[in-house]
Amino acid sequence: MFPIRPNEPDYALLKDPSSKLQNRYGKSIETVPEGHELRGLSLNINGDAGIGANPNRYKQHGFFFNADNCIACHACEAACSEKNDNPAHIAFRSVGFVEGGTYPSYQRLNISMACNHCDNPVCLKGCPTRAYTKFAEYGAVLQDPDICFGCGYCTWVCPYNAPQLDPIKGQVSKCNMCVDRLEVGLKPSCVSACLGKALDFGVIENIPEGRSQARTEIPGFPRPDITHPNIRFQQTRTTQRDMVRVDSMPVKYHRDDDRGGFRPVLDPKHDFKREWNLDKLLGSHENAHIIFTLCVQAAMGAFLMLALGAWLNLAAVIEFIGGAAYLPAVGAMLGLMTFGLVKLNLHLGKPMRFYRGFNNWRLSPVSREIAGVSLFFAGLSGYAVFSVAGDILPAVAPYAGALKQVATAAGLLGLAFGGYYMIKLYRIPARPFWDHWHTGAAFSGTALGLGALLLALIALAFGAMTPDLGSGLASLIAAALLLEGVGLLAHLRDLRGQGEEGDASFYEQTTTFGYPYWLRNGLLALSLLLALIAAATGNPLLFFPLALTLTAAAIIGRALFYVLVIPTTMPGAFFWRNKGFVEHARAVGLADMPQLGVVPGRH
Amino acid sequence: MLFGRHNKNPIKIADKGVVEWKYAACGYCSTGCSIEVGLNAEGTPVSSRGVADADVNRGKLCLKGIFEHELFTSAGRGMQPLMRERWHEPWQPATWDASLDKLHDEIRRIQAEHGPDSFAIISTGQMLTEEFYTLGKLTRGLIGTNNYDGNTTLCMSSAVSGYKRSFGSDGPPGCYEDFEHTDCLIAWGSNLPEQHPIIYWRMKEAQEKRNFTLIVVDPRVTMLAQNAHIHLALTPGTDVVLMNAMMHVIFKEGLHDQRYIDANTNGVEALMAEVEKYDPVTASKICGIDEDTIRVVARTFAQSSAAMQIWTMGINQSTHGSDGVVGINNLALITGNIGKPGGTSLSITGQCNAMGTREWSSCSGLPNYRYLENPQHREEVAQFWNVDPEFFPKKRGMLQTDIYQAMEAGQIKGMWLIATNPMSSLPNTARIRKAMEKLEFCCVQDCYQDTESAQYAHVYLPAGTWAEKDGVMTNTERRINRITPITPPPGEAKPDLWVFNRVAERFNRDGRVNFPEQAGDIFLEMGRLSEGRLADISGMNHELIEQCRGIQWPYTAEQAERGEAPPKGGKRLYTVDGTFSYPDGRAKLIPLPFIDNNEVPDEKFPIWLNTGRLIEHWHGRTKTGKIGNNNKFSPIPFIEISPDLAAELGIQRGEYVRMVSRRGDAVAMATPTQRVPKNMVFLPFHFHDCANRLTLGLLDPHSRQPAYKQSAIRIERIEDQAAAAKLSMEMRKF
Repeated sequence: MFPIRPNEPDYALLKDPSSKLQNRYGKSIETVPEGHELRGLSLNINGDAGIGANPNRYKQHGFFFNADNCIACHACEAACSEKNDNPAHIAFRSVGFVEGGTYPSYQRLNISMACNHCDNPVCLKGCPTRAYTKFAEYGAVLQDPDICFGCGYCTWVCPYNAPQLDPIKGQVSKCNMCVDRLEVGLKPSCVSACLGKALDFGVIENIPEGRSQARTEIPGFPRPDITHPNIRFQQTRTTQRDMVRVDSMPVKYHRDDDRGGFRPVLDPKHDFKREWNLDKLLGSHENAHIIFTLCVQAAMGAFLMLALGAWLNLAAVIEFIGGAAYLPAVGAMLGLMTFGLVKLNLHLGKPMRFYRGFNNWRLSPVSREIAGVSLFFAGLSGYAVFSVAGDILPAVAPYAGALKQVATAAGLLGLAFGGYYMIKLYRIPARPFWDHWHTGAAFSGTALGLGALLLALIALAFGAMTPDLGSGLASLIAAALLLEGVGLLAHLRDLRGQGEEGDASFYEQTTTFGYPYWLRNGLLALSLLLALIAAATGNPLLFFPLALTLTAAAIIGRALFYVLVIPTTMPGAFFWRNKGFVEHARAVGLADMPQLGVVPGRH
Repeated sequence: MLFGRHNKNPIKIADKGVVEWKYAACGYCSTGCSIEVGLNAEGTPVSSRGVADADVNRGKLCLKGIFEHELFTSAGRGMQPLMRERWHEPWQPATWDASLDKLHDEIRRIQAEHGPDSFAIISTGQMLTEEFYTLGKLTRGLIGTNNYDGNTTLCMSSAVSGYKRSFGSDGPPGCYEDFEHTDCLIAWGSNLPEQHPIIYWRMKEAQEKRNFTLIVVDPRVTMLAQNAHIHLALTPGTDVVLMNAMMHVIFKEGLHDQRYIDANTNGVEALMAEVEKYDPVTASKICGIDEDTIRVVARTFAQSSAAMQIWTMGINQSTHGSDGVVGINNLALITGNIGKPGGTSLSITGQCNAMGTREWSSCSGLPNYRYLENPQHREEVAQFWNVDPEFFPKKRGMLQTDIYQAMEAGQIKGMWLIATNPMSSLPNTARIRKAMEKLEFCCVQDCYQDTESAQYAHVYLPAGTWAEKDGVMTNTERRINRITPITPPPGEAKPDLWVFNRVAERFNRDGRVNFPEQAGDIFLEMGRLSEGRLADISGMNHELIEQCRGIQWPYTAEQAERGEAPPKGGKRLYTVDGTFSYPDGRAKLIPLPFIDNNEVPDEKFPIWLNTGRLIEHWHGRTKTGKIGNNNKFSPIPFIEISPDLAAELGIQRGEYVRMVSRRGDAVAMATPTQRVPKNMVFLPFHFHDCANRLTLGLLDPHSRQPAYKQSAIRIERIEDQAAAAKLSMEMRKF
């Protein structure tokens, strides 16, 4: 048990003589009823079999933050990092702020935020390895770094920046609610350290003594419907109409008089100059995702065309399968898949734990994607093997055809399932730029476009190109480009100018990455033109320029997809929790000083 | 509800394996928090926490204290003495004997060649009181230079001077418990949440209970200003005008406490005559606070049954610093707000032991607020130390700021610099650099070998830091608290006390003067010397101090013998009429004519430069710059600049800018915010080769404290941002 001092100050002691039955989301505050099998178990903290005597052990707890009072003294963050022995670059709790007004009518609103131990823990649902558990004890959402393989998906889905991906250790860790202190009746370290009388903690919905509100929104805090967070706020002072983030994110929060509360809106921080920033665009940590999605989608598209073409008895496809280009095409698909999977796996913090990716198949779209893609890869491999098995091993020949059909079916099933969840996993409410149907259109378009291009190039290389095949594939590419184009237009229509972080993404798209964006658009248009001409004329030579324009458009487009996403997340400060400063520190070498709290970039 | 895994691994929560907690008062600011440092089974300090039953901090610590255990192993610590012939040569390892002999010989050589005062000794507010006392005895009693001062001239000397002028002695009369009783608090140039977070917490606790009026005077919208009932965003350097105008209103409206004035003060007529000139209309034109607000503030303050005032560097670091303190005292005296619960003028001090050096270092005179100018004091101390009273100068010598000017002018030839880093901390770095370069001999004694001032040293002595040593410190509310040696200094480094005693041996060959080896014994000696004085500590000893988690002075031997336990807190000075430290027991009301000698912005240098502190950093950043969990919140210098000004100059958020003053230039990153007016930038002073390249630091006529907070600069956009980033990084190593 946590060693409690005989003279612990009163402010450090939990006080919840009573509590409500239900929280505001309609959930029972009691986590498990009397007599439930999860009652009376030890939390087993560091192997200690003791069971805490806290009378509210089976009630959902949460932080209470009085935004009127926070002075951004960082004592909560420091106490947390001291207790959890965290290095400077990791923090389970962080203080950021928003500000507004004009001197001297200026106002700064500080927000200290850790994990909200949500009713709907999107981290737990998203984590492919099942590293997360929502405990019956205190309703704490705890994460086990020993299970985590460092994919960072939880850091994508959490709107509060609670899970911390440590690039050095290659794993995530996060706020543990100081359950060791709760077991002995003490408030968490951060709360006990608070110097502004801002941070408190207790059974959820209980309003601490001397406080009068329990809100779920303040300027800068993401909308609560995403996760039903267990945090309550007091914020009684009238705030300015615009509360601006001071980090590099081009977002501010604007008071919405009709709906109440504040909405994130675009804050064009760095004017409207159009730039290239190719190093930023193509040098990001998300390169593995760019490679993986493009490779897998190209392979999937090509496979789909061959499998369906064969099943539908399309002459051009049958001819292709019978020709010299078939095996090279199968090999290329396998090669792309292998390359993509290796790249993806190596980007994990702990690649050796890759097998844990299926663990959360019940809840996680990532697990399902991994399962689907794996099935597809297995099906594709079987398809490849049984395409040649009959020729090499005559004994197999009689069954090869049937087995190939089975493998094809498995491949298509994996393709459908994996393909669906590959899209689904990006439909993250806290990432508005992705949470739009254009993601599906873009991924499907890539699959069709690059898949068709792959077949066309191989057909050309191995002399198997026919006018039918050429115009068929060119038509598919044109259709794919139209699909992607319509998706992009709808994306633009639905997000730009509509507030929220998606609007800010579009601002970045037309400024920081303005030239790549227009280059990509031009390449898409040119590709469409080439594809249409190729489809109409059947001129196979057009596939060569098309290969260049289409591939470049796909790479730039996918890179934009990753680099432009602006999450719905907590505001940072000017240095700490400021993506702009992190990038600067890495670029100029400041990050090489360990006491800077920025891990040097790794590529 | 979702519960995830059935077969759960044991929950892992960091356990640092603390087996023992050791006690110390915090070594950062003057709040005086009690800390326990946790040691693991190997004896390594691994954790820090606030002492639960300490009256000052009641278990709380700020972010610096929370990571204070990391200081012991921080980078750049000195491990062995170093010597070299010329400062531009590489260091050579040396023995303690050789380096101390060198120090002794150079002091005597320079004194012999150029006179006793040509060698300066500059100390600090960072050491322990017994160390200050020993250094004072050594300097005043044996070495005999009158150019002996501490870096407290940069932070507290205006408060010292103001207290002396008003009350007849230094010594803040209030305590933290005053927050629990006050009805009105004026914070003059004091940003508690950032500078003294634990005092802020005590204030906030009290305010949530009683919701007293909080008035903040600060040109910048600090968190305290933002949370105040009334924020007075005054024109920099014009506090005295506002004070005079408030007194004008108070006298005009008959809100003063005539009984208190009659019983306790001299000079009210002259004061009334002077403030008569400062009607709110006239004053508002100078200080920038409208006349109505001046009246409201004056009335609110004077009509409160108990009103207190606190101040920090916003007052002290000004050409009117001492006057500002006197003005605060005037306001308190005419309303009877001294020595009563909730009524006080409380200087919120800077360094952890600035108070200790004020009381005991003999920098400004002789121990326990004795004056060199007073023959009786010289006699008393000389007898106590067994030295010739004629050896003492009859008048205080130069203060640190003047010493540096004399050094630049060639009058000071040698220096022993102890636990301070003027290369970062003194104004106008370029001139400080020139002055240091010129020294025939410089010895730097510091716990960090990489202190920037060591680059001009000929001898470097590695010292212990904070709780590697044994002794006491005094905090803002006159509370003496104990530091126990938690871990030994690294390598060959030694506690400063050990160094002073070894140096003393070299000046005390005949053994005439007694230098006790143990801090506990020195404390008892100090106790005897304090008997009957304002700061009487004769009832205390190390054990009792630790047991009580600090004791406020006075606590006399008589009280101890009576069995009267020291109070937990709430001890005040001047609680009885007519007990001020002037011989007649009356405080002085001093008229304060205002002469605007600030460097104010003009056409060429149109922007105010306002400097100040950040919560995560301690002074020159030698400590906190190396602790990631402190440093990361502001790892490089930055300015707060109005977005309107930034837009005009074409400066974007996160770009480096060049600031130019009449002294030099500096580079910092721009953070646009409306916290500052359009004609002012705020620049933290912590960073080496930054703020003080710009500051003028005009000296206060009484306290000789530099006006760090009022300089004029212009700001230039930098085209080559990459070069600026590189330059900013090169200029400081951590």
